[in-house]
Order: sequence, then C-alpha cells, then structure tokens
Amino acid sequence: MSLDNILNHWSDYRKGSEEGGHHDYEHRWAMAINLDLCIGCNACSTACYAENNLAVVGKEKFEKGQAMHWMRIERYWDQQELEHPEQGASFLPMMCQQCGAATCEPVCPVAATYHTPDGLNAQVYNRCIGSRYCSNNCPFRVRYFNFYSYYESSWPEPMEQQLNPDISVRDKGVMEKCTFCVQRIRTVKDKAFMEDRPVQDGEVVPACAQACPTSAIVFGDTMDEGSVVSKLWKKHQVERGVYQKTKLAKKDADLRGYRIFEELNVDPSVMYLERVREDI
Amino acid sequence: MVVKNRLINPGAGFARTGLAGMVFLVMLLMSSMAMAVKYDVVPPSGTHTGEDVPQPIEFPHDIHVKDNDINCMYCHTYARRSKVAGIPPTSKCMGCHKVIATDKPRIQQLTKYWEDKESPPWKKVHDVPDFVHFTHEKHLKTLAFDREFPVEDVKEICAFCHGDVENMTVANKVKPLNMGFCVNCHIANKDLGAPGDCWKCHK
Repeated sequence: MSLDNILNHWSDYRKGSEEGGHHDYEHRWAMAINLDLCIGCNACSTACYAENNLAVVGKEKFEKGQAMHWMRIERYWDQQELEHPEQGASFLPMMCQQCGAATCEPVCPVAATYHTPDGLNAQVYNRCIGSRYCSNNCPFRVRYFNFYSYYESSWPEPMEQQLNPDISVRDKGVMEKCTFCVQRIRTVKDKAFMEDRPVQDGEVVPACAQACPTSAIVFGDTMDEGSVVSKLWKKHQVERGVYQKTKLAKKDADLRGYRIFEELNVDPSVMYLERVREDI
Repeated sequence: MVVKNRLINPGAGFARTGLAGMVFLVMLLMSSMAMAVKYDVVPPSGTHTGEDVPQPIEFPHDIHVKDNDINCMYCHTYARRSKVAGIPPTSKCMGCHKVIATDKPRIQQLTKYWEDKESPPWKKVHDVPDFVHFTHEKHLKTLAFDREFPVEDVKEICAFCHGDVENMTVANKVKPLNMGFCVNCHIANKDLGAPGDCWKCHK
C-alpha cells in the first residue's frame, strides 16, 4: 500500500483484522516455531546479526537495554518444583511478530511503519524520524532504536566488507526491527517475476530458519493452502484474526499451537508450538 | 488484423453489410485499443544537469549507437538479466576493436589497457543510493519484453531514465533519478503493474 493510499483511506486502513484487515493481500508471510525443537542455541540470533547488518553494541550498552538483536532467545525457568540441573530451561525465540493489526503502525507520526500487501509490518528507515512511539506501543518489545551511530564501532575496517548489500546500514536515530528477511523475499519474488511463475513454498528461507540446527523455525505463506506453514497452522487450529479463547480449555494435547498476546487482538503472524513436558 | 479487415470491407455501405460493418468497427476498435495498451507507457518526466564525469577513455556513445546502430544491450548485456546494466569487459571492446579503427587514438589507448591486462577505470555515472532496490531486469521485462516492444528500439526505453545517450559521447546524467522521479512514473503507470509499495524499493 502506498503512502498516498494510506492517507486517503486511513480509517479503512486501521480496520481491525476481525473486520477483514487492511488489504487485498498478495502474500501473508508467517512462521511456525516449534518450541519442542528449540534448544536455545542462539544460532538464529547470530544468523540474523550476519544477515541484517545488526550493530554489535557491547556489554555496557547491552546492560542498558540498548542491544540491537532483532531475534532474541528468551529463557524461562518454568519447572519451579525441580532443582537445577533437573529443572530445565525453556526457550522462546522472539522477533517481530509482523502483526496483522499492528499496534506500532497507527502511532507512527510519519507513516514510516505501515502494512505491506505481503502482510509484513514494514519499517522504512528513510522516513523514520526516531520518535520511538512504535517501540513504546509494541507489546512484544521487538523494536530496537539506534541510540548511537554504530557504524565505526561495529564494523571497523575491513569489517564493513562483510555487510550485506541488500539491506541498508541504519544510522543514529532510526528505529529498526525484524523484517522477516524482506531482502530474501524480494529476491525470490523478483526471480519468480522474471520466470513468470508464482513464488513456491519453501523458496523464501529467512536467515534464522536457515541457521536453525533443529529446523524449529518454518517459514511460508499462509495464503498458499499447500504451504507447510499453512498446514501447521491448520493442524493446530490457529487462525488469523481469530482469538483462540478456547485455548485454555483445550484438552487435546495435540493442539499445541498458540500465538503470543492473542488476547490483545493484534493478530501476530508467528505461531509457537508449545513445548511438550512430562507430567510429574 | 487491421489490414485484413480493411480488405474485407472496401467502403461498403452500412445498410448492405450492416453486420459485417459492425463487426469490423468493433474489431477495429478492439485492435486499436490493443495497440494503445501495448505502447501505453507514460515516460517519467524531469530533467537534471549532471556534472561531466571524466572517463579514462572518452567513450563515444554516439558513434556506437547512432552511426553503427549497436543495441544498448549488446554491451550492457546484464541489463536484461540482473539488477545492474553493467559495464562490458574490455574483451568485449576488443572483440571488435582488434580490427576496427585501430588507428584512432582512443582505440590505441584501449589497446594499451588490454595489452597491460588492466581494465580502464570507468566511472559510474548513473547511481542510485544504497538504500534503493532497483532492478534493470524487471523494468526491461515489463516495459520491453512483455509488451513485445521491438528489441532493436530498446534505446527508447533506456532513454526514459538515461536520456538521449545516443547523442552523447561519454554518458552524462540528465535525469534526476530521485524518489519523485521514480514515484511519479510508478503512479502514472499503475495499470502496467508499477508497484506503489514503499518496501518494493526501500531496503
């Protein structure tokens, strides 16, 4: 959707996903993350740093919460009744959930963040003025702000040679976040366009999914009925725009799918599959 | 199709060949519409006065394009299959200039580069910022190949953004190539499928 379109159809644009959402979508990229397979190795996070030119901020700034990891592994110690090492940590990879009804979008004063026809929550760095409203309105805390210019410190010569040319290096005062590796999506779509064919399932692989040693992360298009992601979403009865109120009452142990903060009705595009624990 | 229709309807009165005439008119209208759709690209507007970019060899585009009628894509061969149009390797120049015009000073300059096994350090003239995703191949596919635009006239398509290179010696930037230039053309050619999404170009 162009900016022109956004401004002319602002109320339509802000229509909630339960009313059909904003767009005629071309794709709706989505993920399924199997937490049972996640071993918390941080390979996804590392791959993201390499792919997306993420700045390395250093220990002090990390402690202040200024780290720039678009993909972070959250660690929870949930079996409180057990002692370490029997008490197992559980891990949850957390990145931008590319919400269908994103809370970050309406608060941006300059429409730097908006919804694309691909169902992605876009961030246009050139438009961003660094108001940080979006970050403060994000329930997932997955937007990261460039408080400093990290170019010199992160990539001292000749390290700048390893930067990915398909994505810009963000400078001071700009908000950034996971893009579902939009540069890879773009490359695949360009290729499909040149070959006059639709994008195939499994063609777009984001850096995190590619690096995951246990293949916990599956990426695909939920508009494509035959895609692996669609099938997983369907299998676990997770549906776009529908809040699974019945989830807690669910007795079926096979239905492990859930989306984080579903009750906020932000319609996230990432489905997590609960970890299976033995009942003790 | 138009010519054929003209032959079967040589000035016949509407009353006598009413149906045939109607069919002819409809077909004429349709074919003219098809023609209109086929070449209905609104070229981008805007001018720019670029600074002269001195090149290692004063390459004469005019002699190659105007006098010898060489297609742009003969040398800038990557335009139709990649993001960048590319500068031809020296071997491509030498393919012809081993035998053609070897007495000219510019060719002798080129031959010296070739014999020294060096590339002439060509300077980039048309450049978009690093945060812009621009692909030559998609533009050429949409504007030329998908519309069955005669490939020998492709320089008219190239001229949309590169200006009248045909009459230049070394290329000079004569179009602004800024966001307004791109966006206005994309809005004007929406029907051809020009995307209006920010993330199509901004990266």
